Amino acid sequence: MMTFDSMKELLTYCDTYQKSIAEAMMDMEMEKTGQIRDDIFQKMKDRLIKMQEAVDAGKSDASTAPSGISGGDAVKMGAYMESGEALSGNLIPRAMRYAMATSECNARMGVIVATPTAGSAGVLPGILFALRDRDQFSLDALTQGLFTASALGYIIANRSFISGAAGGCQAEVGSATAMAAGVIVELKGGTPQQAVHATAMAMKSLLGLVCDPVGGLVEVPCIKRNVIGTSIAFSSADMALAGIESRIPCDEVIETMYRVGSEMPRTLRETSLGGLATTPTGEEIKRTLHN
Amino acid sequence: MEFQSCFDIIGPIMVGPSSSHTAGAVSIGTFTHELLGGWQPEKVRITLYDSFAQTYQGHGTDKAFIGGLLGMKTNDTGIKDALTMAEENEIDYRFSLEQGACPYYDHPNTSIIVAKNGRRDVKVGGASLGGGLAKIFLINDVETSIRLSTDDDLRSICNRLPMYMFTHKEREA
Repeated sequence: MMTFDSMKELLTYCDTYQKSIAEAMMDMEMEKTGQIRDDIFQKMKDRLIKMQEAVDAGKSDASTAPSGISGGDAVKMGAYMESGEALSGNLIPRAMRYAMATSECNARMGVIVATPTAGSAGVLPGILFALRDRDQFSLDALTQGLFTASALGYIIANRSFISGAAGGCQAEVGSATAMAAGVIVELKGGTPQQAVHATAMAMKSLLGLVCDPVGGLVEVPCIKRNVIGTSIAFSSADMALAGIESRIPCDEVIETMYRVGSEMPRTLRETSLGGLATTPTGEEIKRTLHN
Repeated sequence: MEFQSCFDIIGPIMVGPSSSHTAGAVSIGTFTHELLGGWQPEKVRITLYDSFAQTYQGHGTDKAFIGGLLGMKTNDTGIKDALTMAEENEIDYRFSLEQGACPYYDHPNTSIIVAKNGRRDVKVGGASLGGGLAKIFLINDVETSIRLSTDDDLRSICNRLPMYMFTHKEREA
């Protein structure tokens, strides 16, 4: 049965058959499920459309989450972006706004698409719809991007982890950002090798990130970590597209994420028993929530 | 290789806020609903372990389990109101929290559900693996390993379970 156990295997496949990472993933899915390409493509496109709906719902919604500790920042980011004064140009603030819109929607118990998880659902829609606005990518092109993302995430998830409880935030926002970096490279015409280098560089920059949600909610610091993940994804993609390579091969970076996560104390793995969750402010929020 | 499809990574389509603490929990609840013959429980006791126990209210894990037990899917916007609905339907539910690890299965997001209605009386052990994927590791004290993705048809999975997992009375039901 065809599968990709490592980035090395994925790249060998892409090289042998002269295919993109997105095409390689569709080949695997067709072989595993026996479904035709059009059906698999449409199913992925349906998910993209749900992602777009979450962005559209979230970007102009100034309401707070039921907890009262998040919400309304996507609206602020939008106003700032439209002022034309944003320091990081037009693209990154746009991605930040869309990522924030999605993660705020998630906190309100709205409908989102887990990419790869709900806690990290902001990063991919952030970069995808910002690229759409900049380069007029079609929904089909962005759907290809989701196949690229799923191939990279599939290897990460099976060789390491994607849940904060198992491996900390490096496994969630870290994985999402690493996937997003590879997607940007492939959408912008980079090679599969360059995409995997971008994935490695993005993941390296988030190694060790702990999962410390205040009050046990997927809000503080989760939402802003998603937002900032988009800028790390673009920086990593820019390096890869400039021809810069990760000195440590991507498979070894993923293995490192696994080791670091395994050594991470339980207090820093989505138990809200450490990190920002146990700051004086974090404890105060928790007391208020539970009363 | 727990993750087998591109849709295990991009997906599920779900109500927030957490794929492991909300979506995975809904799937375990829905599976139990199907195991009860596709009917709601009259009485249910849910034990949550470790990370599940620590953050369950913040992530809506209680609403997610109860929503699933009521037969809801991961993208059902009614999950928000599941506890109210359970009270309206006079379901006797209770959560208990164990701060330590689950004795049956080594994962930080584990749960044991004991549920009954007029037809069946079941015990289900479920772990939420991340990204909305779940695993059933125990049915009525029989160890098992059933992987649940949110796209799976949980009713047909339940219908294919071997009969030795059920008591005589339940086989009749």
